[in-house]
Amino acid sequence: MFTQLIGGLTSSMTLFLVASGLTLIFGVGNVFNFAHGSFYLLGAYFAYQLVSVTGIGFFPGVLLAALCTGAAGAVMELFFLRRIYGRGGEEGFQILLTYSFILIIDDVVKMIWGTDYKSISRPEILDGAWTIGDLFVPRYDAVVIATGLLVALGMWGLIRRSRFGRNLRAISANREMASSLGVNVPVTLSFVFGLATALGGLSGALSAPVRTVTPGAGVEVIIGSMIVVVIGGLGNFWGALVGALIIGEVTAFGILFLPQWAILFSYAVMALVLVFRPQGLFMKQGVAK
Amino acid sequence: MTKFPRYWKGLLAAGAMLALVSADAAWAAEKIVIGAMYPMTGRAGRYGIDSVSGAEIAMEEINAKGGVNGRMIDIIFNDSKANPAYSVKVAKRYISEDKVNFLMGVVSSAVGLAVTEVSKENKVIFVGTDHASTALTTEKFQPYYFRVSNNTYQSAAAAAFYANDKKEWKKYYVIGPDYEYGHRTWEDFWMLLQKKRKDVQLVGQAWPKLFEPDYTPYITAILKAKPDVLVTTFWGGDTVAFIKQALPYKLFDKMKFYNYDGGGNYELLEAMPTGLPKGLILSARHHLNWPNTKLNQEFVKKFKAKTGRFPSYAAEGAYAGVYFIAEGVRQAGTAEDPDKLVAVMEKMKIKLPEDPDGFTSYMRPIDHQIVQVQAIGETVPNKSYPPATMMLGNFKVYKAEDIIPSEADIVAARKAVKK
Repeated sequence: MFTQLIGGLTSSMTLFLVASGLTLIFGVGNVFNFAHGSFYLLGAYFAYQLVSVTGIGFFPGVLLAALCTGAAGAVMELFFLRRIYGRGGEEGFQILLTYSFILIIDDVVKMIWGTDYKSISRPEILDGAWTIGDLFVPRYDAVVIATGLLVALGMWGLIRRSRFGRNLRAISANREMASSLGVNVPVTLSFVFGLATALGGLSGALSAPVRTVTPGAGVEVIIGSMIVVVIGGLGNFWGALVGALIIGEVTAFGILFLPQWAILFSYAVMALVLVFRPQGLFMKQGVAK
Repeated sequence: MTKFPRYWKGLLAAGAMLALVSADAAWAAEKIVIGAMYPMTGRAGRYGIDSVSGAEIAMEEINAKGGVNGRMIDIIFNDSKANPAYSVKVAKRYISEDKVNFLMGVVSSAVGLAVTEVSKENKVIFVGTDHASTALTTEKFQPYYFRVSNNTYQSAAAAAFYANDKKEWKKYYVIGPDYEYGHRTWEDFWMLLQKKRKDVQLVGQAWPKLFEPDYTPYITAILKAKPDVLVTTFWGGDTVAFIKQALPYKLFDKMKFYNYDGGGNYELLEAMPTGLPKGLILSARHHLNWPNTKLNQEFVKKFKAKTGRFPSYAAEGAYAGVYFIAEGVRQAGTAEDPDKLVAVMEKMKIKLPEDPDGFTSYMRPIDHQIVQVQAIGETVPNKSYPPATMMLGNFKVYKAEDIIPSEADIVAARKAVKK
């Protein structure tokens, strides 16, 4: 039972890292980034390159992979997304542009790293699991959970307690007003994009030792994250955390009792939320209301 | 300066073009053209890209020896995108514009089922090289379709023999991707095993979606059910992800891991140079290190030389497809008469890299399914095929005749559909 709980928590945290970036971009930049899963993919490949090929060690590799992914995300914002802000029918352009980035990133990854499955080894100290009687906590999962919680805490500090966070909230509430009050909106948006995609990259890099690193892996992740974000409320950071916890645990316990129906659970939760609370569990758009 | 009337120029140009076109037509008639379709993007991309290289090796070998009846082989490749509607378009264009003599390829059974309809309609022979759904040779069979790789029934039947010998395997748990392939591969096996053994029991089943990234909750649920053996019908990256995630739970110490259709593919062994457990029981439609024949060694060596890596099993299927076509044309003496070709091909024998000594693959007239042996092995340390550090060994080999559905079963299955 407890083992199942930990397993669910690990899934939750991986989902949360991706979904938090997705929701952050939507909340602040009002962009629905379909390509967000591809940054998860990039993170995984960067980690492969740094850890398995270059050999700089696991944790520095993961961290650097997240940073590189963030840089790639900022570049996408700076050179592409920025051009379509405020255009008539912006949503249409957003969908086209971010969707095309899924294809572009997938193909670039394939050109650089090929189509075979890449693999990263866990650091040896994290290979096993702690067992207490029937309890079973894989060490690596513990690291993933801890990272997720740390990120959640760090983001809370950033959004609620820093000047930067205040600017974010201002932009999210009213972009023009914030701009006229002296917030540098374009720079902040690029930074948010970089930060959000770095979170996606971190999730991918952390998942690389336990999941499949292959072109196309981003697409599976984005669907799960969308469900999380819809449940939590689009654009709400804490909604993403709670949504991820709900989806991870509901799926984990669903599988324990009714494994044949495994695929159903997360969608059922989403459908229920959409029927009874279409705006998501957490009210109102905007970061951390 | 003499002035040519305008129309003269036009006439000259037309004449020159006519000469060119007819020369081109004569050249085209001499070549045997194969229209191949393989997925080159997405999750199955590796299978497609390996298939292309495998087919090219066969073509180069045949053409280097002067072709077939003096005619060279030419293969046109296109991405199937693993998409039935798109592949149907490609197949139709191959037939109407490129005037191909044969269709070949496809990895996905869904695409295979779509393309076989085009083949039937246009009477162009379609050689299936890697898709495995039994339906193509039973319910959906049509005379212009041939398959040169084992189908899921054959690997499931071999797997049932293997499991029958393991008297200590009593409690089964199955996990596989939730679509036609995942379910069919398991159901054929379970039906056959239950006919042989009365003391086996299914203690649980789970069907995550195809390409599910996270198996942790399934793994803990499986551990709780305590089966003797875990059957999985995953392929490709899903097997890799599952194994990686199950390792910290010591799942492989607590039960046998059995993936008898796609689990032994080289791409899996290669993807886990560290951490792949010993003693996993796996198979695939072609093995790099079995059979230890000259033909197989040569094929693997050539593939490595050409591409710099070792092939996944799809490569040998495509290689076999080209040889099957070439041999058919040689024996029939034509590439243009489909009915004459069918008559020859459905009785053909052909020696392939995956045939052990003393056995030659052959086509069965009733379902146009190639009949081949199947070998199931377990992972043992072996560093001869880097980057893999484990390969399959301790092979158990199942006779070709024992693992194909009987002709009576085929007839019954087809009748059941017609009703």
